[in-house]
Amino acid sequence: MLKINKIKFEVNTDSGLYGSNYEFSNGLNIIRANNTSGKSSLFQAITYCLGFEEIIGGRNEKTMQSVFRDQVEYPKDSFHKVIQSFVYLEIENTNNDIITIKRSVISNSDRKPQLVDVYFGKLIDNKEEILPDSKPMYIHDKGGATDEIYGFHLFLENFLDWNLPNVLTNSGDSRKLYIQQIASSFMIEQKSGWSDFFATMPHFGLANKEARAIEFLLKLDVTENKKRKQQISFNKRIIEDKWVTLNNQFIRLAEKGGGTIIGLEPKPAIINDYRGLNILLTKDEEEYSISNYIDLQVEELKLTQNKAIFSVGQNISSDETQLDKLNNFINNLSLNYELISTELNFDKDRLRSYKSQLNLLKIDLVKNKGALKVKKLGADFDLKTSNEVCPTCNQEIKDSLLPLEVEQVPMRLEDNIDFIDAQIKMVTIYIEGQEKTIREKDKKLDLYRVRLSEARGNVRQIKKELVSDERLPSIIEIENRLNLKKRIEFYNKLLEDFNQLIEDLKELSEQWKKVVIDESKLPKNFFSTDDDEKLTFLERQFKILLKEFNYTSQQSEFIHISRENYLPVISKPFGEETKDYSIRFDSSGSDFIRSIWAYTFSLLDTSIKFDGNHPKLIMMDEPKQQDAAIENFHTFLKRISSHVESQVLIFASFENSDEAFETATKDVMFNLVYIEDKLIKPIE
Amino acid sequence: MRDSEIKDIKFSKKPISIPVDYRPMYKIAQIVMILSITCTGNKSSLLKLHLLSWALKDDKNKDEVLELIKNNYDTDIAVWGIEPALNRALLFCISENICIIENGKYLLTKKGEVFFKLIIKADVFKEEFEFLNFVGKRKITDNRIESISNKWSLFNVKN
Repeated sequence: MLKINKIKFEVNTDSGLYGSNYEFSNGLNIIRANNTSGKSSLFQAITYCLGFEEIIGGRNEKTMQSVFRDQVEYPKDSFHKVIQSFVYLEIENTNNDIITIKRSVISNSDRKPQLVDVYFGKLIDNKEEILPDSKPMYIHDKGGATDEIYGFHLFLENFLDWNLPNVLTNSGDSRKLYIQQIASSFMIEQKSGWSDFFATMPHFGLANKEARAIEFLLKLDVTENKKRKQQISFNKRIIEDKWVTLNNQFIRLAEKGGGTIIGLEPKPAIINDYRGLNILLTKDEEEYSISNYIDLQVEELKLTQNKAIFSVGQNISSDETQLDKLNNFINNLSLNYELISTELNFDKDRLRSYKSQLNLLKIDLVKNKGALKVKKLGADFDLKTSNEVCPTCNQEIKDSLLPLEVEQVPMRLEDNIDFIDAQIKMVTIYIEGQEKTIREKDKKLDLYRVRLSEARGNVRQIKKELVSDERLPSIIEIENRLNLKKRIEFYNKLLEDFNQLIEDLKELSEQWKKVVIDESKLPKNFFSTDDDEKLTFLERQFKILLKEFNYTSQQSEFIHISRENYLPVISKPFGEETKDYSIRFDSSGSDFIRSIWAYTFSLLDTSIKFDGNHPKLIMMDEPKQQDAAIENFHTFLKRISSHVESQVLIFASFENSDEAFETATKDVMFNLVYIEDKLIKPIE
Repeated sequence: MRDSEIKDIKFSKKPISIPVDYRPMYKIAQIVMILSITCTGNKSSLLKLHLLSWALKDDKNKDEVLELIKNNYDTDIAVWGIEPALNRALLFCISENICIIENGKYLLTKKGEVFFKLIIKADVFKEEFEFLNFVGKRKITDNRIESISNKWSLFNVKN
């Protein structure tokens, strides 16, 4: 928690020392002061010492009133020039550690207002000889929020035992949520603080900054979940990329072995059984898996090895049958080859025509779009034709130059453009399909070509053998054996590579499984059950307080806490669905002030109940805005006086009237801090 | 069978897609562009309007006209199309007071000139502009066109 204990002003003027001293207690403190006596100056001084003055709308000494900068007026119409001024603020945290912050507004030495002195103990009213240790620190300057040794806000963050989250800025960087941004949720300033929820929150290039602040105050898991979701989708993308690469490796391997791959998953998947994945190799019109294929080859090799090598003469008859077989094979294949290449030509022709059609359509689209633009121009230019009115007879005409006898209704230009768009999409799909068939057929043709040349090579071998000396050993036999051996070696290596790839795939699939499991653990809308509970409580508490404060603009059942930015909204049915309206625009002026009262305190209540990060400090300058009735103000004070564990500082003028003060504070437990006369007055 | 007997059939006419050449505003814009970019004094004969409008129809036509210009009118151009749609668009132009007929030729009015400036501003019809700007004001004159058409009718029209 953040507790304000004491504040002290020291203003040196050319006619002596001015200033004052105030003390605050736990629970409700009412800082009563007449207008112009320095109530808001006190408020501002507190924010100034904490380095939160950006919620007033500026930085450094500019945000402080002239009484600290230029001249002190005391008594009325008597002015004293300020030559130096300091503000001291004593604060306390949950562990009862006390520090005193000293910040100058103007100084006659070169002391800059960015500099603060932090005393590790009490300083105000300290009667002891030795002052506590102190350390200079910086606010606002680069590093103010991050510098471990000299950054005051980082020090304050640690002092409050806060751990401000990293948030994504509009420019996509990740940086810490600034402590000043949180401040606007519990410090409400008089001039613009009542115009909206968190009206004075500094922007710092952060989208949806209110939501981030509330997520922090209530310790919602949603931030963490969103971050995790980002991480998961990032991981998923990486795996997807790897998966595609791996698939390509499989395909290339299969091509290298002259086979086709089956059982590939195009997208990442959890695979339990890898047996479906294999490379199919063709032999004698039959397809075999790699290992079966190798077995076949090994067997064949064994058979040939058992046989003695025949001489050419012995081999003649088998050669002849072989030759017949080969010739048949070649004939068949050539026929197929011819067929497919004719088809291919036809396909390519069709592709060309699709492409030219696409081209025409694209030109047509450009022209139509131009025509539409010109038509709109013409309408602005007051051409009747553009408005489909005949310029001569003022009768309605169709948007077409076809002869009148043609009774077709042309499409509207806009529709025509959509129509062409749709056609372009269709033709694009045709083209893709056609390109795919062509690729496949090309591949097939290549394969045929290779097989044909192989077969023809074999035929040449056999023919050569048939005309050579009958007593020589059969070259074909020998070559056949050598080839078989080589092939077996080759496919063994291929099998090895293939198994290696499968190992990679297993690993990747395992990673995928992990990611999918992680993802399934994330709550759907990122809200954990705790979050839901907190938000429901916040909503309920908000409504209860609204009712107590006599809010009447909207019925309670329409009021909700938005799950987008956690601010109150009015949800009303709008046709089939419900639409959210800002409570600000759908409430009367004084009711909106009530909403800010209620919301500010329900945040505190929720944080206390669920042990959130709320500093348990609420400061409000002149909460009785917009002519809220004094009775309502009384209810408000009465209600918030129950917060004895927290600290609430209410700055109010009570219309400068004792009666109003009496009415508003009747039966309310509070500590009165009365600014008599003026905030800055002579010190005896 | 009785259940599925068709009692009556209704047809409803659906709007059809028509080529952009049949859109009045497209054609009017084309006329304005031709008159402004390619005609001295923003004035042209009907025949020249038809020639250029026909050329703008597609790339093949454009190439043919460009070829004609490059070869100094020596090539025989296949006859260009005469479109009734263009004539209708011209009628619109006249009654919108975008152009007027003066001595049998079409002349762009002040209003037409303003409209042309709007078209330039709208940054549309890139290809059309490119072609017409190439043709420019001097390359195709009414006289040339007349002589081509005379030559053509001399050789091709009987009687």
